[in-house]
Amino acid sequence: MGRSSYYHPDTMALHSGYVPESDHGSRAVPIYQTTSYVFDSVDDASSLFNVEQGGHIYSRISNPTVAVLEQRLAALEGGSGAICTASGMSALFTTFITLCSAGDHIVSSGQIYGSTATLLRHTLKRLGIETTFVSINDQGALEGAIRANTKMVFCESIGNPGLEVANLPQINSIASQHGLPVVVDATFAPPGLCNTIESGANVIVHSATKWIGGHGAAVGGVVIDGGNFDWEASGRFPELTEPYEPFHGIKFWEEFGPNALAMKIRAESMRDIGACMSPNNAFLLLQGIETLNMRMKQHIANTKDMVQWLQSQEQVTWVNHPDLPSNPSNAIARELFPNGAGSMLCFGVVGGRAGGGAFIDSLKLASNLANVGDSRTLVLHPGSTTHSRLTHDAMVAAGISEDLIRVSVGIEGIKDIQADFANGLRAAQRVAESQS
Amino acid sequence: MKLMVNGYEAHVATGGKKFEKNLPTVLFLHGSGLDHRSWALQTRWFAYNGFGVLAPDFPGHSLSKGAPCVTIEDSGKWLADFLDAMGVREAHVVGHSQGFLSALELSKLKPTALKSLIGVGTAAAIPVNPMLIETAERSPMKAADLMLQWGFGHQTQMGVSATPGMQPIAIGRQIMGNNPLAVDLQCCADYCGGVDAVGLVTAPSAMILAGQDKMTPIKAGLAIADHLQAKLVVLRNYGHMLPIEAPKQVLVALREFILSVEKQIGASSSS
Repeated sequence: MGRSSYYHPDTMALHSGYVPESDHGSRAVPIYQTTSYVFDSVDDASSLFNVEQGGHIYSRISNPTVAVLEQRLAALEGGSGAICTASGMSALFTTFITLCSAGDHIVSSGQIYGSTATLLRHTLKRLGIETTFVSINDQGALEGAIRANTKMVFCESIGNPGLEVANLPQINSIASQHGLPVVVDATFAPPGLCNTIESGANVIVHSATKWIGGHGAAVGGVVIDGGNFDWEASGRFPELTEPYEPFHGIKFWEEFGPNALAMKIRAESMRDIGACMSPNNAFLLLQGIETLNMRMKQHIANTKDMVQWLQSQEQVTWVNHPDLPSNPSNAIARELFPNGAGSMLCFGVVGGRAGGGAFIDSLKLASNLANVGDSRTLVLHPGSTTHSRLTHDAMVAAGISEDLIRVSVGIEGIKDIQADFANGLRAAQRVAESQS
Repeated sequence: MKLMVNGYEAHVATGGKKFEKNLPTVLFLHGSGLDHRSWALQTRWFAYNGFGVLAPDFPGHSLSKGAPCVTIEDSGKWLADFLDAMGVREAHVVGHSQGFLSALELSKLKPTALKSLIGVGTAAAIPVNPMLIETAERSPMKAADLMLQWGFGHQTQMGVSATPGMQPIAIGRQIMGNNPLAVDLQCCADYCGGVDAVGLVTAPSAMILAGQDKMTPIKAGLAIADHLQAKLVVLRNYGHMLPIEAPKQVLVALREFILSVEKQIGASSSS
């Protein structure tokens, strides 16, 4: 169970992590566009390097503007700490590489973002870290995939693009029996939609580029330490419980307890990998967070309308959203997402892949691009873009069909989105008629 | 490090360096429901700057085994046994909140064990509302929430952290919610020997108090400071959880005082 603040989430979104600084009283979070920070003295520098005091040394490791974003995201998710990174993918890589070494193993949901699947299947394999992909809500498959060298169970809270909601309480129950943390990419479920830590996550990763930023203006990622995993009791994580030589033999768990993972990422991955977020991007993402909850209400309302509208269109062959009873994870979606399971939906049109192409190419308002979570409506054909590097079997496991069109429903006027889609559906209809 | 005290394994943090008992020792004592991590950002400085550091988890707390002490007097006795087990004859003793009450009892039992006494966010008595104790018995996490809402000052409530990216409330909550909080609170509520114990303290002393402390209001801390003729440091913009929410300011106050005591000891032993 996580909780980092006693303010309402709407208040946290506006205030957490910052009170007006004393020199000038800046109400907005200042952009600390600096590489480094002057030390008071040699002793002061030494104590900062040795974690005898908190503070900033070099912006690859931490930066005051980025720290506000980190503290705000940790507060919104109820985590003990957060580390922002250059992108969602760097947040994932940082998490995997902090918890796994050569010879280790990950159990992952098969229904995940294409680049994450590639990272697990190819890049990490090259580093000696193996992954077994399973249908994450299949208890037997999950349990059967766990090995002595497994370090985590990984999934997306809402799978991309198949929109399967991970049964986090069930996954946590199995993982915790084996002393394993549950690492959840919650990009499709931004803070406020689902209490991800309370539901069973021990570590949350977001691509902050998406709904958190919300305006398609800045790329960024974050790892949030849930603070609710006992790394020592697990017995699988000497990285956190045994002396860490490059840092005077520090034992992260003993010294920091609930924020051991976040501190390790700061001390090791930010130093060695250096995938830091720029302060300017942190500022832009902070502007997005301020209205996150309000935007999400409109995203959800528009999505509900779009799902209903698409179902009534004769050119639409199928519609998928976790809130629909036809979605296999609908029951758990209703439990974990009481206000609506996000603003991603998928559907198929008449005319198959060619029909889908005609639909997308006819749109004027919605944008055909490789992003989601923008305030504007976005569409994509994953089979030929984000997931095109997957094999046929991996595509099926990821819940992708040839005709699948992925929609990130924006917050425009609903009638305008529907009018645009109606135009696209007529184009698909023409393709279908030409095929018959 | 681990050691056996009264038949149970105790965990003691040593500031990231092996404990050297030939160096001046600083003993850090945590408050109700907390553990050695309250002192994470003070212990490392002392350990790396010429001191031997001991920050134990009291019995039954976090990494220490055994049953929790059920009275403050018991915790003072446990500290005396702990120092014996460590082979430490004397130490600068720093106590946060309830930890200071335990330090007072140690002082009563073993006055020569205290080179100096420092209270942080504390008083000679810490009355506790019985409803809070009942809540802690039923749900330590709920009681921790109530205490953390009162315990941290405004800046921490706003999510500001001395350590970039971290959230002290969530960290405190995880620790307190999994420790024997109700037992600790009952210890505080029952303890009434503080004023007498303060009267017996002969070691040099300091009080580091918080201007926004709602758990042990500053008025009570000022009274002890007066009684002890202690060096007084008041950190106006912080709450009760001083070691966590104002770690650098607490460290500065601690090291100035402890170094000054060491200097006096050095001067008197050379004269």
